Amino acid sequence: MTTRSNRVGVQHYATRLGSYDEMQVGPEDALPHWQKLLAALVRLGPKGLERCHREAGRLLRENGVTYNTYDDPQGVLRPWQLDPVPLLVSRDEWQQIEAGLTQRAELLNLILADLYGEQKLLRQGLLPLELIYAHAGFQRAAVGARFPGERPLVLYAANLARGPEGRMWVVDDRTQAPSGAGYALENRTVMTRILPGLMREFQAHRLGGFFRSLRSGLAQIAPHNRDDPRVVVLTSGPLNETYFEHAYLASFLGYPLAQGDDLLVRDGRVWLKSLEGLQQIDVILRRLDDAYCDPLELRSDSLLGVPGLMEAARRGHVAIANPVGSSILENPALLPFLPGISRQLLGEELRLPSVATWWCGQPHERDFVLENLDKLVIKPIHRTPRRYAIFGSTLDKRGLELWRAHIRAKPHMYVGQEEVGFSTIPSLDEGEIVSRHAILRTFVVAGEQGYRAMPGGLARIAPRQDDLSVSEHEGGVSKDTWVLATPEEVRESRFAAAGQGGAARPLTGPLPSRAADNLFWVGRYAERAEGTARLIRTLLAKLGEELEFDAPTDTVVLNALLQGLTHMTCTYPGFVGKGGAGRLAKPQGEIMSLLLNPQKVGSLPDTLQAFGRSAFTVRDLWSSDAWHVVDDIQQEWRQARGYCQIESSGPCQDYLDQLLIRLVAFSGLTSESMAHDPGWLLLEIGRRLERGLTTISLLRATVVAAWHDAAAAQIIEAVLASTESLMTFRRRYRSSHTLEALIELLVLDEKHPRALAYQLRKLRNHINALPQSDAGARLSPSGKIILDAYTMVQLSDSEKLVVHVDEDGDYAALERLLSTVWERLFQLSEALTQTYFSHAQGPRQMAPTRREEEL
Amino acid sequence: MIYRIIHRTEYLYSEASGLCHNEARLRPRDCGRQRCLKSRLEVDPYPVDMSDRLDFFGNHVTYFTLQQPHAELTVTATSEIEVKPQEDLLLATDLPWERVIERLHHSDPEGYEALPFVLDSPIIVADGEMADYASDSFALGRPLLEAVQDLNARIYSDFTYDPGFTTIATPLSEVIAHRRGVCQDFAHFAIGCLRAQGLAARYVSGYLETVPPPGKEKMVGADASHAWFSVFLPGRGWVDFDPTNNQMPGERHITIGWGRDFVDVTPFKGVALGGGKQKLKVAVDVQHCDG
Repeated sequence: MTTRSNRVGVQHYATRLGSYDEMQVGPEDALPHWQKLLAALVRLGPKGLERCHREAGRLLRENGVTYNTYDDPQGVLRPWQLDPVPLLVSRDEWQQIEAGLTQRAELLNLILADLYGEQKLLRQGLLPLELIYAHAGFQRAAVGARFPGERPLVLYAANLARGPEGRMWVVDDRTQAPSGAGYALENRTVMTRILPGLMREFQAHRLGGFFRSLRSGLAQIAPHNRDDPRVVVLTSGPLNETYFEHAYLASFLGYPLAQGDDLLVRDGRVWLKSLEGLQQIDVILRRLDDAYCDPLELRSDSLLGVPGLMEAARRGHVAIANPVGSSILENPALLPFLPGISRQLLGEELRLPSVATWWCGQPHERDFVLENLDKLVIKPIHRTPRRYAIFGSTLDKRGLELWRAHIRAKPHMYVGQEEVGFSTIPSLDEGEIVSRHAILRTFVVAGEQGYRAMPGGLARIAPRQDDLSVSEHEGGVSKDTWVLATPEEVRESRFAAAGQGGAARPLTGPLPSRAADNLFWVGRYAERAEGTARLIRTLLAKLGEELEFDAPTDTVVLNALLQGLTHMTCTYPGFVGKGGAGRLAKPQGEIMSLLLNPQKVGSLPDTLQAFGRSAFTVRDLWSSDAWHVVDDIQQEWRQARGYCQIESSGPCQDYLDQLLIRLVAFSGLTSESMAHDPGWLLLEIGRRLERGLTTISLLRATVVAAWHDAAAAQIIEAVLASTESLMTFRRRYRSSHTLEALIELLVLDEKHPRALAYQLRKLRNHINALPQSDAGARLSPSGKIILDAYTMVQLSDSEKLVVHVDEDGDYAALERLLSTVWERLFQLSEALTQTYFSHAQGPRQMAPTRREEEL
Repeated sequence: MIYRIIHRTEYLYSEASGLCHNEARLRPRDCGRQRCLKSRLEVDPYPVDMSDRLDFFGNHVTYFTLQQPHAELTVTATSEIEVKPQEDLLLATDLPWERVIERLHHSDPEGYEALPFVLDSPIIVADGEMADYASDSFALGRPLLEAVQDLNARIYSDFTYDPGFTTIATPLSEVIAHRRGVCQDFAHFAIGCLRAQGLAARYVSGYLETVPPPGKEKMVGADASHAWFSVFLPGRGWVDFDPTNNQMPGERHITIGWGRDFVDVTPFKGVALGGGKQKLKVAVDVQHCDG
């Protein structure tokens, strides 16, 4: 190890790392806790291990734990992967690591405060100015803004790796919005399910305390309401690769999940647009990068953030964790300066060394890097999406020259880092225990009594034996990390958890209006999918019959239903518009396309996809069972494309049966497991509104026209079948298939859950129960619209609706009623959007002025 | 010389906006040969929330928000400024430019002041082409100001002033490729050339008093905001150059503020919620008010 002496502004680096295996201390001996684990794994046997692995995969998939985007254009979902063999860390070693991590967090916290405050480190030459000022993470708008609390750096994560002597090294620091803590918690949850005996035997430290500290750390920095601060988790949205975690943390911690335009700044304060109106926010736990937080003062091309946020923070009305500007600490060029700064600011030696790093901004180090480029890892001082680390050993002569030229042109923009031989750890690969290189992400949080580390972390292993690169971006495999505890420690942490869990106040915050909007659409899409699936199922059955009997009446009935399908799904021209006659003659192609083609707008898979997207956007609001069903539905339609064929309707029928059961299960689960608060009301409103609309479309396409008796009876039966009303109808009206009876049941009956009147009654009740801005006695606009529609249906009589046939051959009164209610329902949807989902007005940059001049 | 400057910015929206946040950097700062006697910012409609601060570079910033629905926004900055003539600089007696670079890297207050302006900035990323262009003016051992003046003169003669060519979004590389642009582009290019040499240069936002053609009345609103650059000379501080007019700014140049490039000193910017399409009108008057 070579370490240079401490001079001001001098870089320090220790080098010569080799490779080390976690389990082995010498060539023969395994460490005792690993021996114990191995023995347990041997007891499980290869089959048992594989079963655990599969079980873990299933649980993670069902819980919707994903890393990348949910709705990949290729339809490739990349679920989170968990290796059931945990990484073990002994109690003694953990104490050293923890001390090192908390010290490092204290140090980085001080550096952060200094760089955005007095800048003594720069003025006194402890840090070169270019290293900070040339880094994209240095936010000038944040300089001079007072950071809230003593430890504004609330969350900190470090990637650790073990060097050859068995010592832990810091590879890099994550400070602006560190991800992974939620995944670590989810891994632990799954491990507890799949290996409960092993968990008990090993007495691993629990993770819950870390999240309790996070809650209190966020309360510490709150400018007001410290007892019960209003906190939101700010996400960039479902397209973010760690969106699962944003939603998971929000729901675990009980904070609303908000996107930028769910928030706004008025009077220098931050407000959440919620269903109950504007709610002031005290603390923002952000998962949005620095530069995107405020389009007024930071990156003007970003619309993800909240305009005016910097000013609100500057005035001390809102605290942001971590503060905007924290990404400056992720600069790898800081690493060689940390030992010196630690001595200066803390009066202590750094307990956890960093991987040897040479910042090229100084001539001596630059020359060293240029000379040894083929042995080093080259990193720009700030991460860019595609270019983070270049391994010199993989470059050819030309590549090396190119990089030398880059470094010579702007040396201060690069560091060279030692290519570290990370330690290997036992891992499961196809039923065998093999060794894989690993990296451990650890987490630190500022709680009430200073920093504390999560006793555990997220271990990630390289996909292949010799692979050194471990990255979540390439879909690596993760591991749970067990920090071994004494039984007393485990008891203590249980006691602490019990002591803190006693508060009886509800954890859920106000519902952001975007979430409300999405819930409304989840309801609408679920119902639309159900209606479409039912009608297609009826049609497939009918089509089978027709092939058998080939009666002219059948064709008439079938055509009416096919046209009903086009109207209901709005997939014009379909069976109605141009080319409709041709499609009616050979309907299979169009039906299959509606059944299976996700690219066709309005098709069943398109609707199901939209349903999945909306549900994912409010991922934090579902119970785990409800989410399982959402996930199953997504799997189901993707698989159906493999086995459903035009020739045989059997598999298609089976698919539709399965799908309908799941959709009904989803609806049941939401009714039974969600609190009937405004969010649920909107989900229900969406569902009822859509069911009203689809019922009307179907009726207008089928029974509004006056048919001759034989056809009428068939049509009535088909309509009843596809609205799940046939049994009720038969029980009530026996064999009398009259149109009046159908209207009585499907339009006017307030007790039948498939009837139009029922939807309208429910809509009226739900809408009156929604929060209103002016809680006066007067009806809201939506309330008026629904009352009008409901009354209209209540005042109708079935005989009068079918008494007169106009010159087009339609029952005019029935058509009038249905079309009027249809319009009201559309107006209702708009009125609800206006009142409750008013985030439609997006932020927009005002045209910039430019310089002009005269001579 | 004392000037009264009226800078009026007017936005018209096609739909009402219910909320907008703005930052104005329109109040000239005190510096060297300039004193701001008075400055007032009027916003119509009246902003509910308005506050002043100094930004990272020490420029005056006014932040304000409109929280009521509005389809028009007018911002008028009225300032009175006293400007003294530039002292005569004896060129050719200052430090050779290579020595200046060494001095910038000393860790002393001068280095701390100047070094940030050697680095790349949002719009200006120094490259080989800029270094190449600059090298003709930077012979070894040449005194800094003489070299910069030469660079300034070359940009003036090599580049065509063409207000129709560039927009706010035109990257600097286009300006260089076509040798066309406006004052802002020329200042950016000059700064890039100096930084490519390792020198410290900053962007100055301000006004230029226009002189009407002989015998004609000066038109109201005909003046405009202007931009130029400054180079850092150790021992003396920042020295201004105007590549658009091949001048060293004197009494007719009025400084508002400075930064690394235009992004740091945009005179007026805002983010509005809603508002639809926008129309923008800017008018500047620079009047003498001596006596």
